Amino acid sequence: MRAALSILKKDLRMEFRSKESILAMWIFSLLIFVIFNFTFEVSRLVMLEIAPGLLWVAFIFSGMFGLNHSFSVEKENGNLRSMALMPVEGGQIYLGKFLSVTFIMVFFEILIFPIFIIFYDLQLSVQMFMLIPVILAGTLGFTSLGTILSAVAVHTRNQQILLSLLLWPLVSPIVIWSVNLTGVVINGEITGSFYPLLIRVGAFDVIFFTLAYMLFDFILED
Amino acid sequence: MAITALQLKDVSKDFGRIIALRKVDLSVEVGEFVSILGRNGAGKTTLLNIISGISKPSSGEVQLFGTDPSDTANKSKLAVISHEMFLYANLTALENLEYYASIYNVLNIPERIEFVLNSVELKHRRFDLVGTFSRGMTQRLTIARALLHEPSLLLLDEPFTGLDQHAIGMLTSLLLEQKQEGRTILLTTHDLHTASELSDRYVIIEKHSVMQDGPMSETTPEEIRKKYFSVQPAGVHQ
Repeated sequence: MRAALSILKKDLRMEFRSKESILAMWIFSLLIFVIFNFTFEVSRLVMLEIAPGLLWVAFIFSGMFGLNHSFSVEKENGNLRSMALMPVEGGQIYLGKFLSVTFIMVFFEILIFPIFIIFYDLQLSVQMFMLIPVILAGTLGFTSLGTILSAVAVHTRNQQILLSLLLWPLVSPIVIWSVNLTGVVINGEITGSFYPLLIRVGAFDVIFFTLAYMLFDFILED
Repeated sequence: MAITALQLKDVSKDFGRIIALRKVDLSVEVGEFVSILGRNGAGKTTLLNIISGISKPSSGEVQLFGTDPSDTANKSKLAVISHEMFLYANLTALENLEYYASIYNVLNIPERIEFVLNSVELKHRRFDLVGTFSRGMTQRLTIARALLHEPSLLLLDEPFTGLDQHAIGMLTSLLLEQKQEGRTILLTTHDLHTASELSDRYVIIEKHSVMQDGPMSETTPEEIRKKYFSVQPAGVHQ
């Protein structure tokens, strides 16, 4: 755990010094909200229908910046090779990178969510707090899978394209379920089917994380 | 009786159709300083990658201190210095060293960092971002990073590349110190004079195999040069 925390500390220190990922993610999401809000003149009802999808488009597309950046900084100066030389299990390195990517993404989500509320004129209610487990579960699924695939893609020349090609098909069930769950919360329609779906997303998170943790040693090999 | 630090038996490595190493046998004793010489593409870096456990051989057996090189315990015994820096430009020298010290579970981190920074004369720049360092300074910090956890085996892959005379002198004296402290050192280089000045033994790799292996004390740089150029001509790759 010590190595994972060291990697997390190092990544956060670099990110909050340069603000490269956070700033790019925030601006990109802001653009999405502005364009959709001012381009389409639709009723509030329709807007409520599409808002969950827009929120997750912003999260996921911006998250791709974070994922790509996470291992690009390791590629510079041969640090990927230094990771393979470290006297720690690959799983610990994965855990460190996963924690840093997740932390940065959650931090960005906290920054962008109030803007989403303002742009789409959403009513704040106690029920809205149910968005916390929904967004967290969706984000964990995205980052657990994205971290290992980003480590695979960074070895290639077309890193960003390959990451998208590998990640999208695998992560789409989680994204679709997260959009559905977000819509249910925003529209105030939490029913009995909400919790089983949330648990399903959580189960996928655990499966993706466990597999990635176990397989990461092979990714580091030459 | 001498203890074996490194043992390679019949080691071959290929990347599909490209042969990188062919049936390499090499044994290095603890405390030995071995220079590995050879033209570009001869297989020197691949050999170091296999020894460090980054790369697995296609066939043959490698043992580092009696076990597999990829063992986690073995990795804490070795350090690699190459033309790749293994440093983060967006962190200060101190932050880089703190990071590696923590990963390598170094005891007395502040004292150890101060010691290695003094060794490479970079203590006055410890709070500066590595991105602002010159090539020579970055390489000196790379050396400090490698020595931080007091490795038993040092793998040096053309570490003199791109260094100025001051940095070359500093690295040479640091390597001599490490040798006197009994560390096992493998150095790949094209600089025959430095190799003869530092090493106990030389190994010439050509056409992906060991062509010459002998003690440095029984030869001169000129003789090595003759041997170096008498082996198979370059450009013949499998």
